[in-house]
Amino acid sequence: MREDEESLSAPEAVRLMTAVAANRDRAAFAGLFGFYAPRLKAFLKRSGMTPSAAEDVAQETMLLVWKKASYFDPARAGVSTWIFTIARNARIDRLRRESRSAVIAEAFDPSDQPDAPVSGEQAIIAVEREERVREALDLLPREQADILKMSFFGEVTQSEIADAVGIPLGTVKSRVRLALGRLRQILDDLK
Amino acid sequence: MINHHPSDETLFRYANGSLESGPRIVVAVHVGACTACAERIARFEALGGSLLHDIEPEDMEAGSLDQAMAMIDAYEAGRGEAAPAKRLPRADVGIRLPEVLDDCGIGPWRWIGPGVRWSRVTLPDDDSANVMLLKVVAGRKLPEHTHAGYEYTQILKGAFSDARGRYGPGDLDEADDDVQHQPIVDKDGECICIAALEGQMKLSGFFGRLIQPLFGG
Repeated sequence: MREDEESLSAPEAVRLMTAVAANRDRAAFAGLFGFYAPRLKAFLKRSGMTPSAAEDVAQETMLLVWKKASYFDPARAGVSTWIFTIARNARIDRLRRESRSAVIAEAFDPSDQPDAPVSGEQAIIAVEREERVREALDLLPREQADILKMSFFGEVTQSEIADAVGIPLGTVKSRVRLALGRLRQILDDLK
Repeated sequence: MINHHPSDETLFRYANGSLESGPRIVVAVHVGACTACAERIARFEALGGSLLHDIEPEDMEAGSLDQAMAMIDAYEAGRGEAAPAKRLPRADVGIRLPEVLDDCGIGPWRWIGPGVRWSRVTLPDDDSANVMLLKVVAGRKLPEHTHAGYEYTQILKGAFSDARGRYGPGDLDEADDDVQHQPIVDKDGECICIAALEGQMKLSGFFGRLIQPLFGG
């Protein structure tokens, strides 16, 4: 049975999340699962996990989406961004558990911290942020965009990037720095 | 007014999850009080969100949705039974600590040198991280030194200055091995910071030389 969904618009994702949070709506959850679980698996594999670990952490992440649904705030982040941060923390947690024998129950998770109230202006920015970042990436020179994407997948070290792209490590570092600066500039201009 | 912020690289690593837990919590303290850096992290996280959204999906194993629903059933059935999280001991260090440290253990102040005290900060999820509070008396000049790796120091109270500038409450000093400095704490009051070191490197940095013996170096 193929369960993955081909596409999910940002407003539809928000609608599904809200239904999960407000009504514990399992059909809505299934819709989110169909779209995000296969993408989480791909994302986690790309970050250096084995297929079975990636499958596990994708499952764990989706369970956390259910548990933490009431913390989702569309004024702060898009659904993809919110789910990404949950997966990121679940991955950190997993790597930490694997690196030692003792198991610690609850992870420090900044996304659980109560934040200051969001102003109206911030809320608008949050909705558009994913879109703007995507636009900014398109405006970056190709090699800068590529190097940012590669280095985002944490498990890939800069020296591995250097090997893959065939440039010296020092060049990778300065290119990442340059690309981050350029991205910041573009995003500031887009405001 | 915050004048010293984490670098783009550090915030990028915070967002993608590759920053170690010690530096991570020091950066979290900074971000909790700095809306500009919170926005910079939100952008990098949005980059993560868009990469997740656009990635070529990989099939989950057959029956994965049923498995997820079964996990939800188990979770819903067991709700309310969870034991309260164990609280780590917290000493009173004389100042109100930022909320992001609420789950951390805080040790009592201990003397490590003339005019300098430290307190160990224990993270709830990683007790091997080297994180500490440092308290230095007014006017104290620290020995000139360089760094063996990255050190992250967030100022909670008071201020110190060195050749690079003045660091006051809310500032984050991110110092690497290129930095050679001789910090001096302001004359009008003590300085309290939270500091973390990256990795298990030999300590020779900011306050590192003073605390080296504590970490068995």
